[in-house]
Amino acid sequence: MIRDHYNRHALDEKLRGAPRPPGANHLAIGHRQAMAMVLATAGEEDAVERLLSSVTEFAVRFSAPGEWLVISENDTPEGLQRCLDALCSGRAHILDQSEARVLFRLSGPSTRRILAKGIGLDLHPIAFAAGASANALCGHIAVNLVRTGEDVFELLAPRSFAESLFDDLMTMGREYDLTAAFAA
Amino acid sequence: MASLITCPHCGVRPKEEFTIRGDASLVRPAPTASDEAWHDYVYVRANPRGRTLEHWQHVAGCRRFLVVERDTFTHEVHSVTDGAAFATENGR
Ligand SMILES: [Zn+2]
Repeated sequence: MIRDHYNRHALDEKLRGAPRPPGANHLAIGHRQAMAMVLATAGEEDAVERLLSSVTEFAVRFSAPGEWLVISENDTPEGLQRCLDALCSGRAHILDQSEARVLFRLSGPSTRRILAKGIGLDLHPIAFAAGASANALCGHIAVNLVRTGEDVFELLAPRSFAESLFDDLMTMGREYDLTAAFAA
Repeated sequence: MASLITCPHCGVRPKEEFTIRGDASLVRPAPTASDEAWHDYVYVRANPRGRTLEHWQHVAGCRRFLVVERDTFTHEVHSVTDGAAFATENGR
């Protein structure tokens, strides 16, 4: 069951056919990442935050006080779960999200103007610097937003909203010739 | 309506990310309190002109309950506090 889900990506239907070459503004759809949610137990929030920031093998995204999303490009979902269980050793609950969320990576010179059509956040580097992450509303869909570079943003959306968010982002990016494909 | 709320965890956000959950100044009566006290707590609300305390939940962000002090006449937001911190400060 899990394997069937994993083999069929939520955006397979949308990205069917031969991929167009990526343009200046490009939306890359991630697949094969391992993702997990880390929920600190009461009173252990600071300890868990220190433990998570001490490891460099995965990316840590803030979503709420005592709650983070962890993403690994190399590990399997099971491997990430084991790694986090060992790291937090009872201080946090670890929930696998690998099949539950879809990663959208938006890059190019117009990314901020594209995102401004759906996200009510100040995305100037002074207000939202590289590495900053937070939950936010994009149109009507709650996503986790992170800035991974000057003009690179990643959105993590619930799998069942992926098609809707994909359509929204392509509409938002139409005037900037936004292209889309699965990440290499 | 105040259109920008500064969440203590997420920063400045549009009001669309929040759900208003009602008066935050009410204190729940003791379980043995009179029917009148419970009736007032559950059903009776003022419609004040001026400063109010309200519960706002940041549903599209950190999902925390916040206590927002705002003015219903000038739309000014005076303070935003995390609900748990507010409860501790006020000994609830
Ligand atoms: Zn928030």
